[in-house]
Amino acid sequence: MTNKRTGVFVCHCGTNIAATVDVKKVAETMALEGTVAYSADYVYMCSDPGQNAVIQAIKDNQLDSVIVSCCSPNLHEGTFRNNAIRAGINEFTCEIANIREQCSWVHKDRAAATEKAIKIVRSAARRVVRNQSLDSIAIPVTRRALVIGGGIAGIQAALDMANAGLDVVLVEKLATIGGHMLQLSETFPTLDCAQCVLSPKMVEVSRHPKVKLMTYSEVQEVSGSMGNFKVKILKKPTYIDTEACKICDDCSVVCPVVVPNEYDLGLTSRRAIYIPFAQAIPASYVLDENACLGLHPIRCGKCKDVCEVGAINYDMLPQVVTEEFGAIIVATGFDLYPQEKILEYGAGNVPDVLDGLQFERLCSASGATQGHVLRPSDKKEPKEVVFIQCVGSRDPAQHCAYCSKICCMYTAKHAQLYKHHVPDGRAYIFYIDIRSGGKGYEEFVQRTMENDGAVYLRGRVSKLHRTKDGKVRVMGTDTLTGQNVEIDADMVVLALAMQPSKGTEEIAKILKIGRDKDGFLAEAHPKLRPVESVTGGIFLAGAAQGPKDIPETVAQASAAAAKAIILLSQPMLSRSPTIARVRNSHCTGCEMCVDACPYVAIRLENGKAVVNEVLCEGCGACSATCVRAAIEVKNLSLAQVNDMIEAVMTV
Amino acid sequence: MSDEQVYEPKVVAFLCKWCSSAGSDLAGVSRIQYPANATPIQVMCTGGVSPMYVLSALRKGADGVLVSGCHPGDCHYIEGNYLARRKLHLVKELLEFVGIEPNRFRMSWVSAAEGGKFAQVVRDFVEDLRPLGPQDKVKADRS
Amino acid sequence: MINLKDIRDTARDMLTKGEVRAVIGWQQGSRGMAAEPVVITAPEQADSLVWNPTCYHNLSLYLVNDKKAQAHSKQKPTLPIAIIAKGCDARSTVVLMQENYFRRDEVYIIGVSCEGTGVVDEHKLAVALQGAQPTAAAFEGEDYVLTLADGSEKRLSAREVMADRCLECREPFPKENNLVLGEDKTGRSLEAPFAALARFEQKSEAERWDFWKHQFERCIRCFACRSVCPMCFCDECVVDSIEMKVVPATTAQEKADRVRWIERSATTADNFGYHMTRAMHLAGRCIDCGECERVCPVNIPLRLLNNKMEREARERFGYEPGASIGASSLVASFRDDDPNAFIR
Repeated sequence: MTNKRTGVFVCHCGTNIAATVDVKKVAETMALEGTVAYSADYVYMCSDPGQNAVIQAIKDNQLDSVIVSCCSPNLHEGTFRNNAIRAGINEFTCEIANIREQCSWVHKDRAAATEKAIKIVRSAARRVVRNQSLDSIAIPVTRRALVIGGGIAGIQAALDMANAGLDVVLVEKLATIGGHMLQLSETFPTLDCAQCVLSPKMVEVSRHPKVKLMTYSEVQEVSGSMGNFKVKILKKPTYIDTEACKICDDCSVVCPVVVPNEYDLGLTSRRAIYIPFAQAIPASYVLDENACLGLHPIRCGKCKDVCEVGAINYDMLPQVVTEEFGAIIVATGFDLYPQEKILEYGAGNVPDVLDGLQFERLCSASGATQGHVLRPSDKKEPKEVVFIQCVGSRDPAQHCAYCSKICCMYTAKHAQLYKHHVPDGRAYIFYIDIRSGGKGYEEFVQRTMENDGAVYLRGRVSKLHRTKDGKVRVMGTDTLTGQNVEIDADMVVLALAMQPSKGTEEIAKILKIGRDKDGFLAEAHPKLRPVESVTGGIFLAGAAQGPKDIPETVAQASAAAAKAIILLSQPMLSRSPTIARVRNSHCTGCEMCVDACPYVAIRLENGKAVVNEVLCEGCGACSATCVRAAIEVKNLSLAQVNDMIEAVMTV
Repeated sequence: MSDEQVYEPKVVAFLCKWCSSAGSDLAGVSRIQYPANATPIQVMCTGGVSPMYVLSALRKGADGVLVSGCHPGDCHYIEGNYLARRKLHLVKELLEFVGIEPNRFRMSWVSAAEGGKFAQVVRDFVEDLRPLGPQDKVKADRS
Repeated sequence: MINLKDIRDTARDMLTKGEVRAVIGWQQGSRGMAAEPVVITAPEQADSLVWNPTCYHNLSLYLVNDKKAQAHSKQKPTLPIAIIAKGCDARSTVVLMQENYFRRDEVYIIGVSCEGTGVVDEHKLAVALQGAQPTAAAFEGEDYVLTLADGSEKRLSAREVMADRCLECREPFPKENNLVLGEDKTGRSLEAPFAALARFEQKSEAERWDFWKHQFERCIRCFACRSVCPMCFCDECVVDSIEMKVVPATTAQEKADRVRWIERSATTADNFGYHMTRAMHLAGRCIDCGECERVCPVNIPLRLLNNKMEREARERFGYEPGASIGASSLVASFRDDDPNAFIR
């Protein structure tokens, strides 16, 4: 194949590559390759002059294929493939040889790095010899989006997409949308009430003609890919006809079953038939089948007897609906790190030791105590309250290694709220250090110290226990004075770490999107693609991706929505044509590839394998499984890999 | 290679695009140094790594072959790494069975977030290969 | 005990009634006592069929040949073909059907159980008879009865001269069958399955390499192992870089994309490549009929390689080659708890 005319373009990347790799030598060595008709180096290949030089060289030298040896293909493969098009050759005859991230940045020995760079570039050059000119595959797009999770992130994303004209389905597994934000009393740093901010948005999303709310529902199964996902959604039975329910509360008054109220984190109780809270959306009661005596008039039936509008239906069944979407936004939020795991602070067994969300409910006007801060054990006003930060966070040995980011701020807020409720009380805050980056955040913390007189103690609390007189003795160290500190507090509030919600773990498995080492959803690129998952068409929003506060969550939700809107505003999606192709002469129809294909993209037709080009993702599982070399991936064929190995082994 | 030079094992590293090659990129972005002995060949998925690739690399004179992909459950292609794990387990067993040193072939799970792990995998592999010396058992003589 | 008359009657009956177009079986060969494969198409040929300890050939190979002949003649027969199948022949027939090489209704399996014994290993027999030439061999309970050239009879314990593969046989009964002759004695243990393999694995790494290096050096690449293997039904083998099946549909790209994974030359490295590739490609497909090892002119113990893969499949992946027509193949499937500890 000596009639091939490949161009090799070696980038210095300033000194990023050139400092460790002898780029001239790479270019000169590549010029000796039989198929290389042009080889050059340049200081910044991706700059405007660099790109123009590539285009000019392709035209001047009648090049039919191009290797750009530079940074990771994730960064500039698109750039240089566009140049190929501008120069009049097929974009798929352009390949990237990564000699920066995978070579110059990780080696110091110039000779060794240069030799490795030559191998990398040579293997790319040998590969491209057999690259075919391919056309992208155009597939239609389903112009609908799915949002999973009905907290502030999901609501914001749904609204943004709906306002852009997309049809949106918002799936929430609880009976009401709103998420954790609804449990908050006030929000930092402005101290505006969470409900006042969120409720209008909840109403807006529920009334939006483009949004279909599916509460009490869960995503069960997802198939398909970017542009065309098929999603099975389970609608759990609420046993209430939402349309008919008049929210009169007669049913819950007669219900004999009393269970802890999740919305108030167990500080209050509810009945088996209940409305999560007064402003729930959809505004309807739900019958908790686990708590109910038996969903049958023989067992109880009191609620059904008393319901005047006949809204209660014990025979309601779970429903599975299948919907199609072009894009998915995952906004499944966080859970607090379980207090049971904090053994040194009583593992949740010491009375009046609360977590942050419980404290929010104590402060909230709609909460357990109608906005009076009263400690749970005896409903007395606590006069000494200890707040402990970083509980479960920044503790790689026992708990979570990461910083939960929002605790410094909400603890400062808690102290302020407490002081506003109990002006003669004393608030102590144990902290490691104060992280208050954000607009108005540092000033907020300063106000907590100066205006509200919260006592900040730098140090960890080693343990706490209940005293005989019903107080909580907190033992810690003030590392600034070196003194041991002992406080007999009336109440303790733990700023527990944020962890990915249980639903996040489940949805990651269903969607096959990666999670990071802490279990949060992994973004496609930590800096450049922070709201995209690694899988095309699936976007991330909110605390499921990492600890963040409300403004950040909203920003990310809007960003994810924008990404989805961009994707779905295209009439057709172009898919990579580097998919599997069958060598009919070798295929025996054994169906091993059919079994191995994760996408059900291969079927047998007249005894031969046939690839569905819309479903095939080009992973190559078929190729590695076939014992007859009868199926392989275009532009990464068996012959090409063989040549690449050969190139890598050539000294 | 002249006598006074230290023996440098030659490693072919098949890295899946989505996890291990991305992890290798992250090692680069983080400037984590590791030996230059392993030359990467990016594949779409470890599930696409045919046993022939491994055998061929050894035949072509590789001192070691590394295959690295996404952790179980994290495969970009849903289950390619599980298929790879089964096939390459067989390859590994077979190579050991005929008396090829077990350390000549290695598989690892390196996620896109594990730049440090990628560097460590290469470091460990190269260190384990050094004492074995050049692989000439099944290297073809070049004619 | 199988009555030869039953085999002949069955074959004759089926051909007479026109239920099958041919019967693949064994007949007396032209060399000494050995049987040879035969395809009979007329009822009167049924009397030539034999069943004795020299019926070692895996007849499913002739199903493959029959299918290839059909493809060549472009004719689709309407009647099935019958095969007389030992346990191993039946298992490889199952694998072929698993891989859609033919449909279940295209084949009529007349199973013959190996009962307490199996087929003879001619090398062992030659040693046992100290050079005497047998002209016939017959099953007799757990013994073989051999007729020598001088007309005398000699009785030998079958297990003394039986092929290793039969001693270690996992399933001497053809489970997949339309009709079966002989008793099911599955579970008999003459030698533990994979016993030879286990013995070999006692060797150190260096000893193992010395052993295989010796084998790989001796291979003459005659491809007898491949030719005799029913699983090697591909028209072009991936290890061949010379031959290329060119049909009108073969594109220039396909011709160019022939991969020279392994050279044809019989060097140690290329023989290593060939035998490793073969073992990998037979993983989950080889049912240990042992024919490759029997036909090898330089006595390479090929069963060890294939047994190694088969035992891995069974023990690590719970996969039994040749057990089910509907099963996914070994390397196209996985379980969540497949071995993971070898991965860093």
